[in-house]
Amino acid sequence: MKIPAFSYHRPESLDEALGLLRDHGDDAKVLAGGQSLLPIMALRLGRPEHLIDIGRLPGLASITVDGRGKVIIGALVRHAAAEGSTDIAGHAPLVSEALPHVGHTAIRTRGTVCGSIAHADPAAELPAVALATDAIMVAESSDGVRHIRASDFFEGYLQTALRPDELLTEVRFPPWPDNTGAAVSEVSRRHGDFAMMGVACTISVADEITAAALSFFGADSIPIRATEAEQSLVGRQPDGDAFDDAAKIVMSTLQPGADLHASAAHRRHLAGVVTRRALAEATSRIGAMA
Amino acid sequence: MSADHQTSGLGFVGQSVKRVEDQRLLTGNGRYVADINPPGVLHAAFVRSPFPHATIDRINVSAARRAPGVVAVMTAAEINAITNPFPPFLMLDGMYTPLFWALSDDRVRHIGDPVALVLAESRHLAEDAAELVEVDYTALEPVASIADALRPTSRQVWPKADGNLLYDSSTEYGDVDAVFAAADRVITERLSCQRQSNQPMETRGTVIEVDPRTGHLTVHSATQTSHVLRWVLAALTEKRSMGSSIAAFARNKDRRTAFIAGARSFMATNKDSLGNQDNSGARSQFRKDRSFPIHMQRIGLGLLAKDDYPTVLAQDIGGGFGAKGSVHREDVALAAAAIALGRSVKWIEDRVENLTDGGHAREEDLTVSIAVDHDGTMRGLKVDLIVDQGAYPGFPVGAGFTTQIMQVMFPGSYRFEAFGMRSRVVATNKGKYVAYRGPWANETWARERMVDIVARALRMSPVEVRLRNMIGESEMPTHMITGPTIDETMSVRKTLERALQVVDLDAFERERAEAAEQGRHLGIGFACYHEAAPGPPDYMDSVNAGSDALTAEVARATIEADGSVVVYTSQMPHGQSHETTYSQVAADELGVSIDDVKVVWGDTRRTPFSLIGTGGSRGGPLGGGAIKRSSREVRRMLIEEAARMLEASVDDIEIVGGNIHVAGVPSRGLTFAEVAGAVTATDPSAHPFDATVTYNGKGDGGWSCATHVCFVDIDLDTGKVAIPRYVVVEDCGPIINPAIVDGQVRGGVAQGIGAVLYESSIYDESANLQATTYMDYLIPTTMEIPDIEIHHIETLSPGENDFRGVGEGGMIGAPAAITNAIEDALAGRGARVTTQYLPPTTILELAGVIRPD
Ligand SMILES: Cc1cc2nc3c(=O)[nH]c(=O)nc-3n(C[C@H](O)[C@H](O)[C@H](O)COP(=O)(O)OP(=O)(O)OC[C@H]3O[C@@H](n4cnc5c(N)ncnc54)[C@H](O)[C@@H]3O)c2cc1C
Repeated sequence: MKIPAFSYHRPESLDEALGLLRDHGDDAKVLAGGQSLLPIMALRLGRPEHLIDIGRLPGLASITVDGRGKVIIGALVRHAAAEGSTDIAGHAPLVSEALPHVGHTAIRTRGTVCGSIAHADPAAELPAVALATDAIMVAESSDGVRHIRASDFFEGYLQTALRPDELLTEVRFPPWPDNTGAAVSEVSRRHGDFAMMGVACTISVADEITAAALSFFGADSIPIRATEAEQSLVGRQPDGDAFDDAAKIVMSTLQPGADLHASAAHRRHLAGVVTRRALAEATSRIGAMA
Repeated sequence: MSADHQTSGLGFVGQSVKRVEDQRLLTGNGRYVADINPPGVLHAAFVRSPFPHATIDRINVSAARRAPGVVAVMTAAEINAITNPFPPFLMLDGMYTPLFWALSDDRVRHIGDPVALVLAESRHLAEDAAELVEVDYTALEPVASIADALRPTSRQVWPKADGNLLYDSSTEYGDVDAVFAAADRVITERLSCQRQSNQPMETRGTVIEVDPRTGHLTVHSATQTSHVLRWVLAALTEKRSMGSSIAAFARNKDRRTAFIAGARSFMATNKDSLGNQDNSGARSQFRKDRSFPIHMQRIGLGLLAKDDYPTVLAQDIGGGFGAKGSVHREDVALAAAAIALGRSVKWIEDRVENLTDGGHAREEDLTVSIAVDHDGTMRGLKVDLIVDQGAYPGFPVGAGFTTQIMQVMFPGSYRFEAFGMRSRVVATNKGKYVAYRGPWANETWARERMVDIVARALRMSPVEVRLRNMIGESEMPTHMITGPTIDETMSVRKTLERALQVVDLDAFERERAEAAEQGRHLGIGFACYHEAAPGPPDYMDSVNAGSDALTAEVARATIEADGSVVVYTSQMPHGQSHETTYSQVAADELGVSIDDVKVVWGDTRRTPFSLIGTGGSRGGPLGGGAIKRSSREVRRMLIEEAARMLEASVDDIEIVGGNIHVAGVPSRGLTFAEVAGAVTATDPSAHPFDATVTYNGKGDGGWSCATHVCFVDIDLDTGKVAIPRYVVVEDCGPIINPAIVDGQVRGGVAQGIGAVLYESSIYDESANLQATTYMDYLIPTTMEIPDIEIHHIETLSPGENDFRGVGEGGMIGAPAAITNAIEDALAGRGARVTTQYLPPTTILELAGVIRPD
């Protein structure tokens, strides 16, 4: 379980980093917090020839809220910093809801929000949050900048739309809509484990439900929205009946697989449970935010 | 406690004195095997089989040998040529133990089976080169389960065995058929326990240091059994013809004298037991394997001829839970490599290796029948046990011996009129079998699970069935139906009665009803057991005639010229705080402070010989008993000299706070240094205060006992089991250090929680191991372990030394209490718990919430 040999680069500027990515592309990996990449390398499941450590790049560790309420999280923002940010709690509350579920304190101290999204583990919370909130991923390369919508970003198991020469420099969460509550509900084997099933959920209510997002993790090879269930909620009262109906749709549409930690039937059952729990919790939070 | 303590001791025994180990360990100054780096040491990586079962057709190491930093790549061709196979040990009637070697040569038998050893300048480079070793395998049909193993058409893991059956033994106590015919009902259930892995924080590791001047080997190792490791490495690396061994032995007079003295002393110590040995085990082995006596003789004679045994030096160890009580194939390969290369070598196992080949345990099927009357009287017990030993038995003790302990302990604290048990051990293509904290513990799990099943069938409460059948004080002394004496130290009934006072069942039932209205499912489960820690004097012979020879423990105590006390133990602490507790025991015996006592362990040049080391909850009763007696003996010597110096009678001398004086005249006292110094002043080589005592627990000993009560709160939305309360009422006799005892109980319960809710070394139907990292083999963390409430009863044993063991008990009781609580919570839904492992998916399946995929 020792990491095989690689060339280590520690660029001091974004241009230098993008140049290295251009030169080494396919054979290189960006090293951010290392909390996913390094275990993979130690198990020799991945063996990049070049590691490009972005840890010293200036200007990427900031969390900003623009005039319209959009939240911009730079590539070097650690989970822990995001978790403690009142800006994020106020303007991107779903991110705040998700972070305590990500691993343990030690992992959150090093791991980054962007790294988690770039890594795209289907059981991870933040990719599902990005999908639920229609976040925009900002990808830079020496060719320029691309803005990639979350719905286009996650392509397959640990696969994203990022090109090998691109760096995810920031993720942008759109302004938080009014009358909208957020909740993350998940079930894991132990505290801090990846979820057997989880959902990142938002619900907007004005007299009746006007919009809802149910973005599942641990359900498929990518984070996945339950659009049919979301639509079933619109126009209804935010009550147990509506949530039950949504949960039933979720259970009949999701096709989760089995692994050592849960059977497929168990995961399907949990999808219904977390749907009900998250919708109720998110509803109860409306108004409590921002 | 004896009157002695009150007069002369400072009374350290019985107090939660701070652990003397902690200063070192908690400040990062422990010295673990990974910290040992001899000059020029080579780092080892093993090439391991990716197949569960295959022939090795060809190995090409040339690319690996050319890789950067590589010094050697060795396969069975090199290693086995200079080593002996692991011989059968503790042979039992009806058992066949395969001979196996350090590295596999023609066949691999499980995922992770070692086939080659790479030695390089760093572990990184060794792993790089290990990837370059090309092995051509031809896959064979794997044996993946007990069912596979018993199928006559399955491929054999060991060609000389009967199919895949390695051991088959049946015993009856009483007239089983008659009792079963006479009872009102017979209740039968098949129970099965999943494969688990001992998971110490520190993995295995060994550094073989070669003295370049003499070639002498110093073995630094994370071992629970330093002397056994020394002997086994000496034995298995001395490969020579019998003739040359005999000639060498005949030439070496010192060796001969030492051997004869050693053998005499061993025979004298263990006279009774040795007389009891029977040879049926060796005969069974011989029927299957005619070559084994030749290997045994060669090994035995090699040991006589060898004039330089390695030194084993084991210091701080980060846990073992039994796995480090085995001598491992890797150790032999490393020693052989060090000898062949004349260079020091180091291997620190990584977690993937550890989960794969560090040792597995507990995979057992048990079909249990209880003959019971309508009033709940349990009359007869029948057990059909099958153990999946994997591909290799642990060495020296495999599963066969453990089944004997299970058999003796199976009836537990209940009266049975008759008991019959069949025990089988099968070979499969899985990781090797090792002892794991209470290796026999599934007797308690299965029995206590069955008691609940019986109670439910009879519509009685599980507590009522226990109380009705449990042996009480008025019946003592008596015997278990399997032989061992039951005296008043078998206080299980007392622990149950105390538990019932502590938990308030009526209040629980009210709480359960209220919770049910909110859709929550509460349950309560009891488990009761006694364990031989050390057991009554007739215990070991009930397990296996003659095996009592294993149990003696030797300790040495000295008083040095500067007056300090040094005690030497053959125990091999690896987390149990022996240093603290032995300091407490010796300090009280000698009337000094624990700060004046130094404990020496793990260094085979200085510590007494032991065939076991640390295991079997021996540390308190046998190790502690030997420390106590050697300290007392050295005290006697000291007092004799002090009496001479003070011109007083020995009977008038007392020691208080390190001051040796005539009773009532403390002002005219002598210090230890004054007495010891007076003797050594005239002769610096004199070492007059030096006592070595062998203690075999005969005459006292006794049982350790406990009742565990687990409360569960099950969430049927998720399948998760919460444990809001966990109560242990335990009796290990007088407690040396309450904080340490509580720590041992808590650790054991935590592993029991792991066993039921989290841990499974699961193989698929093709014998591929699924759980090879901590992403898949889940051990509970502090977040999953509730507060554990511990109550103590301190029953004295009839003998003089009344410490009893406590290391294993937590894990013996917990799986039964937890699974019983879970069934209790789900009983309304018709759930019947028959597996030990109950992950959330299984919980929901049992409750009928989901269907199996
Ligand atoms: C024990 C443990 C438990 C965990 N539990 C959870 C959990 O419950 N939920 C969860 O979500 N995660 C969990 N994680 C993973 C953790 O959240 C990681 O921190 C996260 O997935 C990756 O972030 P990182 O900064 O460490 O990225 P790295 O490990 O440095 O990189 C991960 C991948 O993303 C790429 N990458 C990183 N940053 C960028 C970038 N800016 N641009 C382009 N590519 C980039 C890397 O090249 C690599 O391929 C756990 C990890 C561990 C070790």
